[in-house]
Amino acid sequence: MEPIDQELDPAEIELPTEPMLLNVGPAHPAMHGTVRIVMELSGESIERCDVQVGYLHRGFEKMCERGTWTQVFPYVDRCNYVSPMLNNVGFALACEKLLGIEVPERCQWYRMALGELARMSDHLTCTGAMAMELGAFTPFLWMIKGREMIWDLMEEETGARLTHSFGRVGGMAHPPTDGFKAHAEAVSAHILEILAEVEQLLLGNRIFLDRLENVGVISVEDAISLGWTGPCLRACGIAYDVRKSHPYMKYGEVEFDVPVGQTGDSFDRFIVRVEELKQSVRIIRQCLARLSDSGPVNVNDPRVILPPKEEVYSSIEGTIQHFKIVMEGLKLPAGEVYAFTEGGNGELGFYIVSDGSGTPYRVRIRPPCFYVTGGLERVITGAMMADVVPAFGSLNMIGGECDR
Amino acid sequence: MPSFKLDDAEIPFEPGDTIIRAAHKAGVDIPHYCWHPGLTVAANCRMCLVEVDPPPGRPAMMLDVLEWNAEKHDYVPQKKPKLQPACQFAAADGLVVKSQSSSHVTRARAAVQELLLLNHPVDCPICDQAGECRLQDYWLEHQGTRKRMKDEPIHKPKGVVFGPTIVYDAERCIVCTRCVRFCEEVAKDPVLSVRERGNLAEITVSPGRELDHPYTLMTEYVCPVGALTATDFRFKARVWFLRSARTVCTGCATGCNSFTDFDPRTQEVYRYRPRENLGINKYWMCDEGMLDYRRIAADRQLIASVDGKPSDREQALARAAELFEGAPPESTAVVLSAEHSLEDNFALLELAKDGLKTSLVYVTGRAAGQGDDVLRDPDKNPNTNGVKKLAPQAKSFAELVKDAADGKLTHVLSLGSHTPADAAALAQVKHLVVLASHVGPLTEHAKVVLPAASWAEAEGTFINRNGLIQESERAVTPRGDSRPAFRWVHELRLALDRPPAWKKLGELRAAMQPASAGMTGARP
Repeated sequence: MEPIDQELDPAEIELPTEPMLLNVGPAHPAMHGTVRIVMELSGESIERCDVQVGYLHRGFEKMCERGTWTQVFPYVDRCNYVSPMLNNVGFALACEKLLGIEVPERCQWYRMALGELARMSDHLTCTGAMAMELGAFTPFLWMIKGREMIWDLMEEETGARLTHSFGRVGGMAHPPTDGFKAHAEAVSAHILEILAEVEQLLLGNRIFLDRLENVGVISVEDAISLGWTGPCLRACGIAYDVRKSHPYMKYGEVEFDVPVGQTGDSFDRFIVRVEELKQSVRIIRQCLARLSDSGPVNVNDPRVILPPKEEVYSSIEGTIQHFKIVMEGLKLPAGEVYAFTEGGNGELGFYIVSDGSGTPYRVRIRPPCFYVTGGLERVITGAMMADVVPAFGSLNMIGGECDR
Repeated sequence: MPSFKLDDAEIPFEPGDTIIRAAHKAGVDIPHYCWHPGLTVAANCRMCLVEVDPPPGRPAMMLDVLEWNAEKHDYVPQKKPKLQPACQFAAADGLVVKSQSSSHVTRARAAVQELLLLNHPVDCPICDQAGECRLQDYWLEHQGTRKRMKDEPIHKPKGVVFGPTIVYDAERCIVCTRCVRFCEEVAKDPVLSVRERGNLAEITVSPGRELDHPYTLMTEYVCPVGALTATDFRFKARVWFLRSARTVCTGCATGCNSFTDFDPRTQEVYRYRPRENLGINKYWMCDEGMLDYRRIAADRQLIASVDGKPSDREQALARAAELFEGAPPESTAVVLSAEHSLEDNFALLELAKDGLKTSLVYVTGRAAGQGDDVLRDPDKNPNTNGVKKLAPQAKSFAELVKDAADGKLTHVLSLGSHTPADAAALAQVKHLVVLASHVGPLTEHAKVVLPAASWAEAEGTFINRNGLIQESERAVTPRGDSRPAFRWVHELRLALDRPPAWKKLGELRAAMQPASAGMTGARP
């Protein structure tokens, strides 16, 4: 028997290693939505990786070519399903641009207030989930509590918590409820409180900071060449916000700041979103102040807006108007248009082509997180396996929007 | 060619054209209810009003009006031009006409439209015209507002039976008199007229008469609103669910151009509509033709049969091939059909020539019926001329009956479902194989029946009574086990081990080309 305590030169001990191939997803709980990442690991660090998207492809753009323009709204709800109101408004604005109409001022303030609430819902989910994935469960619950308040408000306004289908070409499905202003103000105040608590819990937390700072870094050049927009681009220090750079609706008339990061790491993306939440509250308060309590919400244009139901049942003109819009669909003039807004994750663009009939000829969406997810490979290559989850979380990939 | 200016477009016209007709020919639509290109001008709906500039150097005809000014809270004198109905105003060289570009015209049209809808009932949900109604289209295009009248609308008779085919609703009627003029001018039976005046006016049938001439359904077709509805189509389908195929009516030898409207979900045909062809039917079709769509579903031979018993397609085909295997050419014959397309007849004729090696060719078809000098032809077959062109030597059905009774024929392969005369003698034919779309005297005596597709279920080419070749599109998929007759012939030839030179419809048509060469044709 050989002696156990052999005299060995430590230099001779070299563990034979070869890269390990690891599949994560598409059905892994940390893979937001359904995405698959194939990683080549050396030890715990990622040598190479391949991000595969498309598992949630429903053929959104093709589906739009079947029904009427109005029937697209439920589909856009299901693109970024964490902030469907922003999609609704973005699509409505594209159609209105082609029609050459502008909705009444009351509607614009209402759309902005609802949109910022939706943006808060989006950012709360993203930042809360990031914290939770790093083991901080309490902030997650608090932020989701805040999101619940937003959804309660949305339910009050639209009748649905998540997929509102509330936008309409030329207006909204309903005017604001009587209690909207008070409710929205209360929600905003609560969310500010929640944010203060969350910041106290997280921003002094060594573990949380170490896991995010200088992790998942992307250079400004890379981010721009990949087509990044939204919070992820702003985290790199570029202050590109569609609301500021190309103001639409009344964004030119409200005061708000565009927070930017410095290093483009996961922490910057986190903190940019937290700051944007506060800016959203600022915007919402200004919108509520300027939202009038009466006046029309919808444009007065029989080509696009349904008549009141009682007129449909009692007058021939109302019946005809209803019939034309429901049976044939509202008609956009032949032509094409690109309209873009600031979605939850960046520039949300709709490129629509109409042949003049009641059915869309082509609807192309520019989903912001498709381009952001395109950079995930660069963000996590060279990082540790455990960093994938917070880095990926900070990009806030939404499957429905990315895969369409 | 002289021309005039309509808004920004230059519209050419022929001397004698009115503004609206010239614009219509140029593809520019001036809104109208009462004008119809095939009828005389009534100029009573006032929807086509346009502003016509005066000749150079002449003052415009201006009307002095007082108009309420909401800002000044008073009536203000205004001038506005005397508008002219485009349907009645003769086009002249260099004329300057303003249609949409004149605010006077758009206001006049909105006012006319408001007036026409003043007493209109809220009927769209139950009206067959909804979806193809001028009132709906023009309301959105030219009015877009609510009516200002708050009174109870005038009520008039609804559901008035005008005759066996047409029901009238006076409340929906805008009294454009298109139906009145149609009966008088095209059908030559002035059975309709207008009674009363103003908002009490309605269409009425002459006392003691019914609307029962052979072209009653055209009154429904010309009606721009839902006042006249066809009993046959009432409440059957909503038009926005229907799709149209461009077809040729197979009801008689005239070959009227038609649309076959069908529901793509159920593959049911619901109606025919005339398709404009100034060379044949102009804008019209007869009742007989309009209702001929019903034969697509009625009395159909939908499954194959062998010795009178239902059979599947393969067995029937094998049996037919067995019967004709080694048939003696001197007693073998094929029967062409004037009901079927050139394609079907050509495929069969080709089989006779180089498959069965026989020159015995007969022709069958539907029995003659009534004709007139408007559209209807006594020959109720759509392709009599086509068969004549393909097989000038084809013998008549009477000769077929005679030869069969004399026992001269042992093997007969027949196309078509109907016979012009009694076909009992065909029972003498020992081996009778029939390619039929409908149950009839031929299927009765057949040993093997192969179900053929009807005209609506296959592409086909027909030659009408004037020698015009016309293609007809397929509307629906073949019902039951049926398939196009030329397809059956193809399979029969494969089973007989005598494959044809063609496989697809396009190849068949190319092979057929010499037979139809030198004739004028029309594609849908």
